[in-house]
Amino acid sequence: MSRDLSPKSLLGVAGAVATAVACFLPWSLYAGFPGKMLNTGFPGGARMYVLLLALAAVAVLLLDPPGRVRGMRGAAVWALVISLLTALLIGYAGGGLGKVAAGAWIAVAGSAALTASAYLLDSSSDRDRRVWSLPDADWRMPAEIVITLAMAGLALYVFVVGLGIPTSNVASGPDHTFRDAISLNDVTNGSEFLAFLFGIIGLFLVAGRIGLTASLGAITQRRRPALVTGATLAAIAFPFTQDGSPYALRIAASIGVFAAAAVGLNVVVGLAGLLDLGYIAFFGVGAYFAAIYSGSATSPIHVHLPFFLVIVLGALVAAVFGFVLGAPTLRLRGDYLAIVTLGFGEIFRISVNNLDGQSGPSLTNGPNGISNIPDLGLPGGFSFGDNHHLFGVPLPFQANYFFLEIVLVAAVMVAFLRLSDSRIGRAWVAIREDELAAAATGINTTRLKLLAFGLGATLAGAAGTVDAHVVKVAAPDSFTFIESTLLLAAVILGGMGTVPGALLGASVVYLLPEQLRFLHDLRLLVFGLVLILMMRLRPEGLVPSKRRQREFHERDDRSGALDPPPGAHA
Amino acid sequence: MQLFMQQLVNGVVLGATYGLVALGYTMVYGIVQLINFAHGEIFMLGGFGALFTYTVLLPSGTPVVLALILMLLGGMAVSVTAAVIMERFAYRPLRGAPRLAPLITALGVSIFLQELVRNFYPAKSPRPFPQLIPPDYLINLGGGVTINAPKLVTVIAAVVGMVALSTFVRRSRTGRAMQATAQDPDTARLMGIDTDRIIVTAFVLGASLAAVSGLSNGLQFGTVDPRMGALTGVKAFTAAVLGGIGNISGAVLGGFLLGIVEVMATQYAPSPLSGGAWANAWGFVVLILVLVFRPNGLLGERVAARA
Repeated sequence: MSRDLSPKSLLGVAGAVATAVACFLPWSLYAGFPGKMLNTGFPGGARMYVLLLALAAVAVLLLDPPGRVRGMRGAAVWALVISLLTALLIGYAGGGLGKVAAGAWIAVAGSAALTASAYLLDSSSDRDRRVWSLPDADWRMPAEIVITLAMAGLALYVFVVGLGIPTSNVASGPDHTFRDAISLNDVTNGSEFLAFLFGIIGLFLVAGRIGLTASLGAITQRRRPALVTGATLAAIAFPFTQDGSPYALRIAASIGVFAAAAVGLNVVVGLAGLLDLGYIAFFGVGAYFAAIYSGSATSPIHVHLPFFLVIVLGALVAAVFGFVLGAPTLRLRGDYLAIVTLGFGEIFRISVNNLDGQSGPSLTNGPNGISNIPDLGLPGGFSFGDNHHLFGVPLPFQANYFFLEIVLVAAVMVAFLRLSDSRIGRAWVAIREDELAAAATGINTTRLKLLAFGLGATLAGAAGTVDAHVVKVAAPDSFTFIESTLLLAAVILGGMGTVPGALLGASVVYLLPEQLRFLHDLRLLVFGLVLILMMRLRPEGLVPSKRRQREFHERDDRSGALDPPPGAHA
Repeated sequence: MQLFMQQLVNGVVLGATYGLVALGYTMVYGIVQLINFAHGEIFMLGGFGALFTYTVLLPSGTPVVLALILMLLGGMAVSVTAAVIMERFAYRPLRGAPRLAPLITALGVSIFLQELVRNFYPAKSPRPFPQLIPPDYLINLGGGVTINAPKLVTVIAAVVGMVALSTFVRRSRTGRAMQATAQDPDTARLMGIDTDRIIVTAFVLGASLAAVSGLSNGLQFGTVDPRMGALTGVKAFTAAVLGGIGNISGAVLGGFLLGIVEVMATQYAPSPLSGGAWANAWGFVVLILVLVFRPNGLLGERVAARA
């Protein structure tokens, strides 16, 4: 506990208390505002996130962990942003600032005081963050397991909340002037989601700056079986939280396919360090293979193969493409390889676009693609197209595909983890770090690079076969250059070479544009901006591999020793 | 034969656009080893800057030559401003970051610029571009082969751009500093070269040439579109790699080769692989073939791996 009772910190405490109290008061006098902003006593809607941020800020201020002032700033600024934005939007949607209740203004003033306090305090006295660990006692292991399971539960909770926030119930206010243009109405509709997003960013900043993220990461890494169990349980539990609504399940299933492909790409890029800009083509090979042999009426080949055979064959065909492309081109260095893979991706897209019987042999039904892919079935008569009831919870048929996704992602993850821990995986990392040195230690670099390329293609092909059945269509538009780069963005945003990173990155890259739909045409603009900002704030990714983290840390230490301290001379 | 020669001319014209944009890729890559995927968007911005100058800033009845010069300057101003801001706020903070991080930034910048123009440029798509140089003014090259005036301007611009740029890089003080920075940034700094300034210079030069290309592209096709940078960008990067990335003459040569291959394949490839639908694929096939036999591109030198 700090004994810092300076006016500056007292200002912060007062601000936090005012903000926290305000979160239990109504913010809006206008009933149409999204989120539950009217009642007294329960902090609904955006208030919840402001409350959490204010509590986090004051806790950091009083408990004095390492990185105290910087952590406090992270929380305080975002609390202010959320409360101010919400207050103004209530005024807009309600038709005048008179509709903004006193609670909102108290929260704005309180979080402003908190922010002022955080910036008045001197951040240079912050102690360096460190990794916390539990005391070495008998209860340490069970406690760590509980923490790990709780983290999985928390992740599920955040995911469900984030996906469940409605962003399109139209509030009153001026009508759209023209179609697809954004208006403040849309921002109002999305305000609860924005509050959620900003809240997560703020809490993430605090946790990162005081070293909590690193500590929890270390604990979950130590308890890997618990992590795997927790994550699996959380994933299985997800459909039961949706109360029969198919919307989130459909998105989650697509995220699953995307994540599986991202993990596969992680083998190529994250482990072996080969920049592949046409990875989606291998995914497409799998998807088209599955579509053509699905028995769909739009497929020119009326052969219906059983799905398990399709997964295996689709993966194999993709692997063949991988080896055929890789064999002659893998001796190219770095970015030359990138452009060749890009070229291959484009050739694939153009080919499937043209193989319609007119510009080429009839195989893919051209630009329309192969659609109406029938539902999967299991030998016991189980159809993936049926809705079910389980434990009294209605499960729409999309849940079946979601469970299939879990199996796919789990399989790909196991493959990735076994590979990365193996002799092969270590050789890949050696090649990634320094190809010459790796060759000098007796690693057959060409063969291993080809293996990485081929295995990555195999995983993508398998994911593609599942994808065709999830989205029920295989069309050229789904396999463009931008899709490849988005997959790459998922891998790099999440953190190269780690599985949780790829999963998190895939969720962000897929979910964000989806939930930003209330921005209409501006959503991609915002998405581009988010990519730039995230790379600037965390170039090593959200969940960097331990090895990479260490690299960064070592560099920090070294520069600290050699460079003059900041501000020593102009 | 006449058809062949005509297609050759068409290919050269197409290649000139690729080559001009490729110069920007090759220069930036040569110095900071960054694939600046947003460079296609800089090309697009050049076209829009020129259009904006014409429709908003110029009074009607401006003499054509003066209008063209001012449009070029307007396009360059927009392209260069965007490139400098992009370098300063998106790429520079990432020096020393993992190698792939700037690539994602480039992707973000590319999406951002494209959407910015799409959403905020007044007037909806497709945006007509003034036909200041009449496209029906045909110049006879002999043997029945013709080229129209805007296309001829494009080719001349590409050649002039390449010659001017390579002279600048070889002769001027700044140009030699660029070469030094490309070879070894640390040593260049020790020799008193302000490498940050040199990197900005590379972006500025690349953006200027992209603006030239953006203007001539508008004059040729009569429209500009916010999405036109994406494909041109990929093609131009392909051209730069084809010629040997980092090599200025290589970029233009690669551009011409790519353009000619695409046009010729459209005409002469065996059916059903001919026609416009397959043209883009043929360009990449040639790229892959060239790189298999010359891994460093056509004019790229075989560099020893640096330890």
